[in-house]
Amino acid sequence: MKQHNIRLHPLGKELVVNDQTPLIDLLHEFGVEFPCGGRGTCGKCQVSLLKGKITVSEIHRRKLDHLHLPSNVRLACMSLCTESITLQVEQYDHLILADETNFEFMPERGFGVAVDLGTTTLVTQLVELNSARILAVETMLNPQVKYGADLISRIQAGLDGHSTEMTLLIRSAVGNMIRLMMEGAKQIPDKVILVGNTVMQMIFSGCDLTPLSCYPFQLENPGTKTFTASELDWDFPDGTKIEFYPSIGSFVGSDILAGIAATGLHRKEQYTALIDLGTNGEIVLGNRDHIICASTAAGPAFEGANLSMGMRAVTGAISSLRHDGKTIQSSVIGNTKPRGICGSALIDAAAILLEMGLIGDFGEIQSGENSILIDDPVRLTQKDIYEFLLAKAAIATGVTILAKNLGIETSGISEIYIAGGFGNYINLKHLLSTGMVETTGDKIHKMGNTALIGAKMFLFGKGELADEILGKTSHINLEAFPDFQDIYISKMILG
Amino acid sequence: MNEIIEKLLEAVEFGKIDQKSPYPPQLRGMDGSHELTQQALAAGVDPQRILEDALIPAMGNVGKKFAENKIFVPQMLMSAKAMGASMVQLKPFFASGAIKSKGTFIIGTVKGDLHDIGKNLVAMMVEGGGWTIVDLGVDVGSERFIEALKSNPGAVVGLSALLTTTMVNMGDIVAGIKACDPATKVLIGGAPVNADFCRSIGADFYAPDPQNAVEYLNKLAS
Repeated sequence: MKQHNIRLHPLGKELVVNDQTPLIDLLHEFGVEFPCGGRGTCGKCQVSLLKGKITVSEIHRRKLDHLHLPSNVRLACMSLCTESITLQVEQYDHLILADETNFEFMPERGFGVAVDLGTTTLVTQLVELNSARILAVETMLNPQVKYGADLISRIQAGLDGHSTEMTLLIRSAVGNMIRLMMEGAKQIPDKVILVGNTVMQMIFSGCDLTPLSCYPFQLENPGTKTFTASELDWDFPDGTKIEFYPSIGSFVGSDILAGIAATGLHRKEQYTALIDLGTNGEIVLGNRDHIICASTAAGPAFEGANLSMGMRAVTGAISSLRHDGKTIQSSVIGNTKPRGICGSALIDAAAILLEMGLIGDFGEIQSGENSILIDDPVRLTQKDIYEFLLAKAAIATGVTILAKNLGIETSGISEIYIAGGFGNYINLKHLLSTGMVETTGDKIHKMGNTALIGAKMFLFGKGELADEILGKTSHINLEAFPDFQDIYISKMILG
Repeated sequence: MNEIIEKLLEAVEFGKIDQKSPYPPQLRGMDGSHELTQQALAAGVDPQRILEDALIPAMGNVGKKFAENKIFVPQMLMSAKAMGASMVQLKPFFASGAIKSKGTFIIGTVKGDLHDIGKNLVAMMVEGGGWTIVDLGVDVGSERFIEALKSNPGAVVGLSALLTTTMVNMGDIVAGIKACDPATKVLIGGAPVNADFCRSIGADFYAPDPQNAVEYLNKLAS
C-alpha cells in the first residue's frame, strides 16, 4: 500500500501513514479537538496546510466557505491523507487533575491501581496499600475523544459501528498507563479498580450502548464488571483482580459513587451536595440516611464544545479572568497567546461582564453588538453567553430539584463540594454571583478529582464502602419533575 | 381603541402578564395583557382584531428577536405567558367561529426523547401566530401522530428531537405519516437537526428556530 509522510509543525513530529488514512485518526493525539466527533458540524478541528495538498470534497468546501476560513485551512475530520503533507498544529499540553489528598484507610498488604476513566481524561495511580502512598501516576486524554466530546456522541459512534474499536482503544490506553507505572515503580498490582460514568463503563466492558441511546436510558446490568488481565490483553499476571465499579443509574456512574465516598456525605448528618462539573455534569445530594443523584447535560459548554472559541483546559486556553472595573485581565495556560476560552474562564467571564454592566441579567450584551472582546483575538458571542446560561441553569436546576425531592430548601444544604476536571481552576465567588450555585461562600468548597480519591478509597477492603453507598443512593430523572421547565428557565437568569 | 391594542401588543412583546407581575421592570405597575384584553373586549374590539393586530405582531417581534439572539428563552417564555393570559379570554371566540384559526399544528417530541422545552417554545410561538395547537407531549411514536392527524385532517405536523441518537426516529415517523397521507406537511427542528437531514428523511421543512416555523406555516396557510 502507498504510504505518505505527515509532518507536524512546529512539533517536529513526522508520521508515516497509509494512503487514505483519515487525519482524525492521527491528530487527536496531538491536541486537535473533535467535539462533534467528526460529523463536520462544529468546525473546531481546523488545521493549516503548510505544504502539500488535501483534496476537499463538496461538503467539506461548503463547511469551509461557511466558516470563512483562509484558503490553506482544512477541517481535519473531513480530510484524508493522499500525499505527503506538512501541517501546522498548535503546541500543546493538557492539564489533567490527579490527586494527593489524604484519606483514612485500614492498611493492607500489596499494591493497588485506581483508575479514573473520564469521558475526556484518564488518570491512573499506583498505590502502596499499607501506607496509601502514591508510587506512580499517569495521565492522558481519553483516546475516544476523536469520536466526540460528549457522551451522546460516543453512544452515537457505538451505534454507528465503532463500539469494538472504542473498547479496544480504551482497554489498551489504560493497560499502557498501568504498565508504565509498573515499570517505573517495579511493582505488580494486586487489584485494579476503575471508576467512570455509565457510558465509559459500558464501552470499557464491551457492552451494548443501545439502551443508553434513548428514553428510558436504563441498563439491564449496571453492576460491577470483573475482568482478568488476559481478557483485557494487559500483560501482567492473571492473579490481579480487575473491577469496573457499578453504576448508580442512567448516566450516573461509579465515578460519582467514588465522589460520594470522597466527600463522606454518606456518613454526615447534615445535607451535603457534590457537584461534578465534568463533561457530563452530575449532582448528588444527601446525608447518612439517603442520597439522591442526577445527571445534567451541562458539560459541553464547560468543555468548550458549544462555544465559538471554546476549548478544553490546554495550552492557549484562557483559564481565568480578573478585572479592575475598567479592563479585563486574563491568565492563559502555558503563558502564551490566547486562542480560546475554557470552562473556568467562561464562568469568570459571565460573572465579570455582569459585574461590569456589559451584559444584563438575561445575558444580553448591552452595547447591542454581537460579541464582546475578552483577550484578543478571543471573543464571546451573544450565543456563547446563552450557552453558558443553559449550562449554569442546568446545574442550578439540578440542585433545586434534588432538594425539592428530599423536601428541603437549597438553603438547608450545609456544604457543597465542587469537583471535576476544571474544578480546581474555578473561582467560587463567580459560581455564586452567576447563580450557578445558590449558597453562601462559607458553605462551598473545591474538592478536585473526587472520582480518583474515591477510587483509591475503594482499593481498601472488599467493596463494603461502595455497597454501603449504593444501598442508600437512588437516581432521579430531572426532566420528569413536574415544574422542571419553569425552574430551568427561571435559572437561566443571571445573579 | 387603538391605544388598547398598542398597549396589548407592547405587554405581550415584553412579557407583561398582569398588573401585579414584576416583570419586565420598565412596565412595572402598568396593566398587563390580562387586563388589557379584558378592556379591549369590554370596549367592543373585534376579537379577531385583538389576535391579528396585537398578539400575532407581538409574537412575531418576539420570534424575530429570538432568531437574532437579541432575547433568550426566559424573555420568550414571559411573552408566551403574557400571550396565554390574553388567549385564554379569546378561546370562546375561536369556539364560536368569531375568530378564524389559520389551521391546526400537531407537535410532539419524538420517540425516545423527553426534551420538551424547545418543542414547547415552538408550540407557543405557533399559537401566537394564530394557529390551533395539538401538543402530543414527549416520547411520541408515529402511531400517535397518525391518530392525531385522523382527528385533525389537514393539520401540519411538527417533530422535535434534542439528541443525535433520537433524531433518527424522525425518519420512521415521517415515513409513517406520509404513508397514510402523502399530502401532509411535516416540519422538523431541534439542536442536532439540519436541512440535509430533513431532506434525507423526506420531511418538508427544517426550522432552525421558532420564527422560521411560524413563517413556513403562514406560507402554507396563505
